[in-house]
Amino acid sequence: MRGWFASLLAAVALTVLCGGVALAADAAPDKSAAENAPTVKSIGGVLLAYGDEDIWDENGQVIKRPGVAQKMSVADTVAETPDPLEGWNRMWFGFNDKLYFWALKPVAQGYSTVIPERPRLWVHNFFHNLMYPVRFTSLILQAKFGAAAVETSRFIGNTAFGLGGLGDVTGDLKPYKPIPSTEQDLGLTFGYWGAGNGFYLVWPVLGPSTGRDTVGYVGDYFLTPTSYINPWYWSIAADGYDKINGVSLRIGDYETLKDASVDPYEAVRDAYLRMRFKKMND
Amino acid sequence: MKKIAFVFGVLLVALAVSTAAFAGEPENRLKAGIDKVIAILSDPAMKGPAKHLERQRRLRAVADGFFDWHELSRRALAESWRKYTPKQQEEFVTIFSELLQKTYVRKLEKFNNEKVEYVKEQVDGDQAFISTHVLMKDKTVPINYIMIKHDQWMVYDVVIEGVSLVKNYRTQFSKILSRETSDALLQRIKDKIKSLDEGKNVDDVVGK
Repeated sequence: MRGWFASLLAAVALTVLCGGVALAADAAPDKSAAENAPTVKSIGGVLLAYGDEDIWDENGQVIKRPGVAQKMSVADTVAETPDPLEGWNRMWFGFNDKLYFWALKPVAQGYSTVIPERPRLWVHNFFHNLMYPVRFTSLILQAKFGAAAVETSRFIGNTAFGLGGLGDVTGDLKPYKPIPSTEQDLGLTFGYWGAGNGFYLVWPVLGPSTGRDTVGYVGDYFLTPTSYINPWYWSIAADGYDKINGVSLRIGDYETLKDASVDPYEAVRDAYLRMRFKKMND
Repeated sequence: MKKIAFVFGVLLVALAVSTAAFAGEPENRLKAGIDKVIAILSDPAMKGPAKHLERQRRLRAVADGFFDWHELSRRALAESWRKYTPKQQEEFVTIFSELLQKTYVRKLEKFNNEKVEYVKEQVDGDQAFISTHVLMKDKTVPINYIMIKHDQWMVYDVVIEGVSLVKNYRTQFSKILSRETSDALLQRIKDKIKSLDEGKNVDDVVGK
């Protein structure tokens, strides 16, 4: 009798859950339609409106409409996320810059002279595979069930046949119908639901972020397996190793951006906000 | 019946050929430019640190032939473009393109035979938007080129992973110009080039 009752309860819960999710799925197209609507406004003091009318936005979507001057894409308004803590943020930006050049980069360079690129890519795959719970949860919360299913099969495939995730054996397999990007986290999920960035924020070590993404970090932390390693210093060590390995694969990218920019802080801020916006819509 | 099948087959082949050759003028020109860069970088005679300067010179020549620096600078400055006299505008185009040549064009050296896929071409009047994918070792990077035709098709903006080159600079320039004069911005770019020329470690390159 108890078992029967429990299964009934589970069925009801599942129905409610699916209903809620279906509602969310219905709501989603409205949101994207709202996003495509012409938005020409300037938040804050920075003048981003310009004389030219663009035909396409950053992703090649046509934004030109007859009779409506389309001077800004939605990404442009996102890039205008306010930065009320600019002085504070610039201080941490400087700190992270020094951290990179004085600690992360030398360590990563030493590490990459000892370990060839191939094994470093395996390590990258391993940590990426390990972060599966973050991606899966975010995709479910965004009601992208197809993508969540694909991501699950990738996780199972890579874990079982890629030596616990070292090899990306499923990387070349394409789903039979296109799915949205599976590179999602909770910050992007809140954005997908319609939450704005709030304000720009630079964290020590973690780097550029926003109010919204910071809330996302908290949830992501609890969904990250390495957070549960005991004792705590091994947990930090695992994350640190992942970071160094990642840096070793992209030495030079930050240097170029910094060299080329007239104001590196603004360049990084703009790039972060636009990249996140693209990821959210992918 | 056989005849119908034959006609159908011919039509199908014709369709396949026409779509294969569908790439328009802008895409063909972009492709030619990218192929030139790849040819320089994979030329065995151009390899090695000894050939560094020669390689740089050739890459620059290709970039000058495919980038509309004037259009790019004008759009990056946006409304502030009008704050400069025509002579200053000319100077701005020269030094700004110099900065881009010294950084992003130099970065092309890192190119390691990654495959470039041409995904989509859109043309509207004298402008074109070309989407490509660059297949890197651990990921695929979407790179879009926006082109304009004055005399011939030239690239004026590059969008990498959603970040537009022109708009990234527009953000920086408008922030600086909201606090400083237009002459100060020119001077800042010159200072940046100077510090790069002096071979200072990027670590020391100030940028407030």
